[in-house]
Amino acid sequence: MAERLNSEHLDDLIALMRGDGYRVIGPTIRDEAIVYDELRSAADLPWGFTDQQGPGRYRLQRRPDRAAFGYVVGPHSWKRFLFPPREQLVRIRRGSDSPQWTAATDDGPGLALLGVRACELAAIAIQDRVFMGGPFVDGRYRVRRERCLIIAVNCTEAGELCFCDSMDTGPEVQGDYDLRMTELGTELVLDAGSARGRELLERLPSRPAEDSVADRAQAAIERCRRSMGRRLDTRDLPARLMGNLDHPRYQDVADRCLACGNCTSVCPTCFCFTISDTSGVTDGEAGRERSWDSCFGAEHSTIHGAQFRPDVRSRYQQWLTHKLATWTAQFGTSGCVGCGRCIAWCPVGIDLTVEASTIAAGAGDPVPLPPVQSYAPRAGDGLVPVPARVLEVHRETHDVVNLVLQAPAGYAPEHGQFNMLSLPAIGDVPMSISGSGDGVLEHTLRSVGNATRALAGLREGAVVGLRGPFGKPWPLEQAVGRHLVLIAGGIGLAPLRSAVRETVQRPKDFPNVRILYGTRSPDDIIYDRELLGWIQASHLRAHVTVDRGDRSWSGNIGVVTKLMRRKHTPRSGLYFLCGPEIMMRYALAELDRLGIPAEHIYLSLERNMKCAVGICGRCQYGPHFVCKDGPVFRYDQIASIFGKVGF
Amino acid sequence: MDSSNPVHARRPRLGVFKLASCDGCQLTLLDCEDELLAVAQAVDIVHFPEASSSLMPEGPFDVVLVEGSLSTSEQLEQLHRIRKNARALVTIGACATAGGIQALRNFADHAEFARAVYARPDMLPILAKSTPVAEHVSVDFELRGCPIDKRQLIELIAAMLVGRAPVIPNESVCMECKRRGAVCVVVTKNQACLGPVTHAGCGAICPAFARGCYGCFGPRERPNTRALAQHMRAQGLTGREIARSFRLFTAYAPEFREESERHES
Repeated sequence: MAERLNSEHLDDLIALMRGDGYRVIGPTIRDEAIVYDELRSAADLPWGFTDQQGPGRYRLQRRPDRAAFGYVVGPHSWKRFLFPPREQLVRIRRGSDSPQWTAATDDGPGLALLGVRACELAAIAIQDRVFMGGPFVDGRYRVRRERCLIIAVNCTEAGELCFCDSMDTGPEVQGDYDLRMTELGTELVLDAGSARGRELLERLPSRPAEDSVADRAQAAIERCRRSMGRRLDTRDLPARLMGNLDHPRYQDVADRCLACGNCTSVCPTCFCFTISDTSGVTDGEAGRERSWDSCFGAEHSTIHGAQFRPDVRSRYQQWLTHKLATWTAQFGTSGCVGCGRCIAWCPVGIDLTVEASTIAAGAGDPVPLPPVQSYAPRAGDGLVPVPARVLEVHRETHDVVNLVLQAPAGYAPEHGQFNMLSLPAIGDVPMSISGSGDGVLEHTLRSVGNATRALAGLREGAVVGLRGPFGKPWPLEQAVGRHLVLIAGGIGLAPLRSAVRETVQRPKDFPNVRILYGTRSPDDIIYDRELLGWIQASHLRAHVTVDRGDRSWSGNIGVVTKLMRRKHTPRSGLYFLCGPEIMMRYALAELDRLGIPAEHIYLSLERNMKCAVGICGRCQYGPHFVCKDGPVFRYDQIASIFGKVGF
Repeated sequence: MDSSNPVHARRPRLGVFKLASCDGCQLTLLDCEDELLAVAQAVDIVHFPEASSSLMPEGPFDVVLVEGSLSTSEQLEQLHRIRKNARALVTIGACATAGGIQALRNFADHAEFARAVYARPDMLPILAKSTPVAEHVSVDFELRGCPIDKRQLIELIAAMLVGRAPVIPNESVCMECKRRGAVCVVVTKNQACLGPVTHAGCGAICPAFARGCYGCFGPRERPNTRALAQHMRAQGLTGREIARSFRLFTAYAPEFREESERHES
């Protein structure tokens, strides 16, 4: 039942929550805007103020009345409290012999969020799915969410940039709140949405609201619904956007867009973050922290120095299509709640509703997105490494080593999965598992950056940090009784190696295995002795080619596609590809020419995996996360975006 | 350079040099009060004229910090000597990375300036332009700013000691501005702000004090200066005002230079 409360008793509400040990966060005026910050009393509320907004424009203004919630939304969202801009994830104890990684916990007080709008509550629910929807649950986020008290407020006035009605997120508060308010003149109409909310309401000097008062509150919300400043036609929007990736409007936006990242920072749902190891000048403590990142920045899309979203056009496309299209395949809802912040706080006023409508209205045929995936929950933090000792180090080539590690107890990876390997204060890198079994696991790595150089320099007895195994494996069991063709380029043989070993051990199941392997030079061939051993196995054939031969080389010269002859590539076979993307592009074109159906081809991809548990957003690949939906993909599932700039 | 084993690890040898500059950036090292002792223990400071009278300018160095731009022929010779003796060369500050405030003369007739100031301008070994270090020798890392940021300097040294890449992202000042929760002065006050096109690192000091960014850290990666300038014009700034806003501490950085030249007339 609804209750009514004089607005001046907001002070009692704040005092009650503070008395219960909550840190109360709510709207207050700072720097000529209504921001969210700690409230000590109701005097901190923006009584009698409103916000006047337009694209790239925000002005604080006086209202004729003394409304406490007479504004729309400001530059802050609640995400800065539930998912702070910078946060320690892991505490690291350095020391050469036995480094330790332990989860950093959030021991702060519970938060009471006062004045949460309907669109904002929807945004919190969206971030809940990101951080707690699996396979792993973000422990710090969960603690904050479970402790958090939500005092929501219905909107009775819409702003110039509001379009929650289009996104079906407002203006009426729905979902998971403790208390819900509607401000009517100098009064609040309240109802509780939880036991905690009811208990709070009972302690306030409220009285039951007559039906007429409740009706007036509902009418004010409906008036607000009719006065939305913006609209967005969401019918089939994801498919229409995905069907118009080549729309010329993207270049037009890119000419105006500063790629500053403000839209992503003010967005209440954008969740991308980066992870870095930190250390001081002296020895001892180190840490691993995350901080808000943006798909408009360079590092977001950089691996090994190459950028796969090299220009503003592709970065804006990533943002827009993620927010309004691919998000639905990742999490089952749109990533946009219609709050309008990205329009107001874009310094040059780029309007998402205008750009999305224009692009979605393009001539391209709609391209449906894959259905939303669900993930089996996995125990543990996922972000905290466990120590693993290096048992052996084998040098494969001048810049490639094979590390044999002691596997943690109960560790059972599948062929094609990957681990995150780290050294304290240096950071972690994704690394495919090149062998496992008998209590050990192997990683074959090329020294390319700081982290891999440090890993490649390890000696026996050293300890690395290990997270994993992550990702989808090669579908080896599908190959039973069929021709299996493995096409590898360079170090790309490593993620295939444990699968090859299994086929060698089970010759009856895998009677026809063929390896087509290309490297830069004879000196770059990895596992050379093992390759010879494999060839001894009568059912397995290996063909090797090099880009550049030398005097001792009497084998094939040229790219790997030269090995893809008709007799090596039966139409019924199953194909596993791994190597540089350019090599896989050519190999795929050749397989297509040979008439191999796309559903028979699997390939292993690499993107900017940082968290490896599907929450940092850095390895997004269209609707997929490489870390949890890949790295092994069936080709037909990514064919529409494979090789396209921007993905 | 693993410092975790002090018995066997050799401390990296550090040199600090200056070219045409105000000394403000190397003073940032002395300004690291809390960390200075730890730095002095972790690295072997073998040449640092600002701080010590025992000097070894010939090194050899594991890493040198070079402040200042190339403004005279002597400095050019000095720079080549420094490069030869250093494994890693890090430029610090707007002068070393972009030519500095003294590069403003690059936009004018410097010979005329010299005639106006000096009785015998022909005695000056002055180069035609004030230029950044990277125009002359290879540079391993750049620390931006006028002056550089103390936290970034410490991060660079800490990262070097363990062998990781320093966490010094090439992103816009807006990212730092938003992380610290500052309110955008462009959107609320129509102020001119170079934040969207400027390399982060200062922590968004000016916007946090309600003033637009001056661009001290120079252009970020792929800065869309043209779009920002168009916006400034739409907000009522004149071409001259736009040119001047790009022509401050990092005026000679290519992207800012080109943008200012577009609005000169």
